[in-house]
Amino acid sequence: MSLFLASVGFGLVTASVLAIAAVGFSVQFGVTDVINLAYGSVMIASAYVAYFVNQLGPGVSIWLAMLVAAVLGALLSLVINKYVYAPFQRRGMAPIGIVIVSLGMLLIIEYTIQAVQGTGNLSYTMSQGPTLTFAGLILSGVQLAIIGLSVVFMVGLHLLLRYTRFGKAMRATAADRTLARNCGIRTDRVVTLACLLTGALCGISGTTFAINLGSFGATSADLFLVMILAAVFLGGPGQPYGAMLGALVIGVITEVSAVFITADYKYVPAFVILLVILAVRPRGIFNAGAIG
Amino acid sequence: MSGFIRLHSSLRAAAILAVGAILLAACSSTTTSNKITSGAPLVIADLAPFTGVDAALGGFYEASCLAATTAMNKDGGVLGHKMTCATFDTRGDPADAVPATNQMFATEPHLAMVIGCTSDEAASVVPIINSHKMVMFCMTGQSEFDHVHYPYFFRLVPPDLSESYAMVAIAKYIKHYTRIALAFGNDIGSQTFVGPAIQSIKKAGLTLTANVTLDLTANTFRTEAETVVQSHPQVILTEALGSADATFLSEVKQLNGGTMIPVIGTSATISPAWYSSVAGAIGASTLAQNYVADNLVTATSGPEFTPFYDAMQAVKNQVKSLDSGSLATLLSGPGAVHLFDGMNLAALAMIMAKSTNPSVYKNDILKIGDGVKGAVVVHSFAQGKAELAKGKAIRYIGPGGPTSFDSYHDSPGIFQVDGYSPTGQVLVLGGISTADYRAVQ
Repeated sequence: MSLFLASVGFGLVTASVLAIAAVGFSVQFGVTDVINLAYGSVMIASAYVAYFVNQLGPGVSIWLAMLVAAVLGALLSLVINKYVYAPFQRRGMAPIGIVIVSLGMLLIIEYTIQAVQGTGNLSYTMSQGPTLTFAGLILSGVQLAIIGLSVVFMVGLHLLLRYTRFGKAMRATAADRTLARNCGIRTDRVVTLACLLTGALCGISGTTFAINLGSFGATSADLFLVMILAAVFLGGPGQPYGAMLGALVIGVITEVSAVFITADYKYVPAFVILLVILAVRPRGIFNAGAIG
Repeated sequence: MSGFIRLHSSLRAAAILAVGAILLAACSSTTTSNKITSGAPLVIADLAPFTGVDAALGGFYEASCLAATTAMNKDGGVLGHKMTCATFDTRGDPADAVPATNQMFATEPHLAMVIGCTSDEAASVVPIINSHKMVMFCMTGQSEFDHVHYPYFFRLVPPDLSESYAMVAIAKYIKHYTRIALAFGNDIGSQTFVGPAIQSIKKAGLTLTANVTLDLTANTFRTEAETVVQSHPQVILTEALGSADATFLSEVKQLNGGTMIPVIGTSATISPAWYSSVAGAIGASTLAQNYVADNLVTATSGPEFTPFYDAMQAVKNQVKSLDSGSLATLLSGPGAVHLFDGMNLAALAMIMAKSTNPSVYKNDILKIGDGVKGAVVVHSFAQGKAELAKGKAIRYIGPGGPTSFDSYHDSPGIFQVDGYSPTGQVLVLGGISTADYRAVQ
């Protein structure tokens, strides 16, 4: 029982990291229509930037470094969308073609990091804080901070999408870009700002991912990208609330599964559930067809 | 729907292309010519993972190759040929290793020998290399090579089951632990330790508290770590490369209230990459206090060590993955030491046989390694070459110590106990007696 409860706690941490990444991915997909597989490599590139900032001196907090990583993630996402994906889209490339282009970007970024930085693994200089035990859950101070950070971002994104002009413009652009433009929304500007916003989430999720991992390398996010895709498609592509729920389901079930089955198969039950839900609701749990 | 049909057509086209490429790769590698152009540089192929979770291995073998070939070239090369290194990436996966091997034979007409072939890919590539009649020194511990005869296969590292026995012997007789947990990666190379370790723990009368498998691509191992912590082991036997052990052990430390459970690693954990990632995750001093590993006896000073040390120093700036700290670790790492010996053995065998043809020189590897009556003991390529020029028989003993090949060309060696200093230097902490080792077999 205690191992089960502990695994639920671990699942919440995994879900928190996953939620930040999956929500960013989902919103980006909703606005740009690109299944951006390079998202995982931008996460890792941001994690490396956070590492270099963190190593500048003993007083440089990883939380400060995370802000720099967010800026890098935002810029890199914008550049990739504007100078790689958008030109292909303008030429009328099919969505599957864009997916392959994004796969190419994923490999280019990963191998560039590996070529520059080598194959070794890195760790941030930081304290994990005290380990807290509560009702069978065992979490460190840093893990609680990650859960808290995730909740703040989820609430913040909800407020942004529901109550701001930009949020509403993003939702309108995701629902129907042509109609949104005809209604006077500057959709190009919305796409640019959405890329910056989701890129920043990507940078933050890359850093929290690396903090959570303890040690990371250029290819560390490969399986995590599959989990992001699972969370996004479970909730419904382009649906940030769906991505939040998907992250929770995938994160918790993955960790809890490790209690009951051989740990190296712990991802299987989560994906079986994904398949079952998609069989019943092919467009995901939140299948309204537009953001929010 | 039309999008779905387009996807279907695209996938079909991609599948046809992929099958075509596989067929082309398969057809390109049925024969190898051993005709070496006079004076052309001879190539030592480093066939190992350069990407993927075991990516660090290829780079370290490359360091050893550069060191060995630089020393050989400084001394005039082999039979008028300069020696050079080429790298082929297996990604640590048989599916990628087989095409890489075929590419190696297709693109390297002056191939002299192969090094690397780790446990990740050995089962797939050794038969191919052997069918091309090419000498190989492999870094695999897989037990199938204990009893399957490949005439061109040589191994200077112990079978994994021997290492499992050595780890259990350390736990029982040197550290006096009675409760052991196992945590090994889910790759082929790591999983081969598990079965023999469980048998050995039972034979030694110890208690196996937990046995967890670590998915090397996973993002966290907290539930696995908690499973281990709740089983209250006194020690964890482990090998999980990439970032897996770093993540797993840091989680064990956290879930054990900030106190590290001692660890016994395999010889593969004596590597700069493993040290830097684990030390970064749990702290260098914590690692130094709580870690030992089995390793083959290797020289750390004296005439066997000096030529190796000098050779590694000479190339350290050419290898990007090496800094001064990791070089210190590498000097005791099996990947560097035993491959360095293997390359020297093969090069001296070529000179002795007066041929670069593996079919001709491979038997002289055994003579030079094990020695014949009246052989002069040499500790470097230069010494060996000089003695061969005088018409003397030689026995090469390098930093990895004397070899003793069995009929399968395995030279398992003798085990010692190593540890790390807080700066990453490998320390020899003691030996494992033959009696203790046999008691847990």
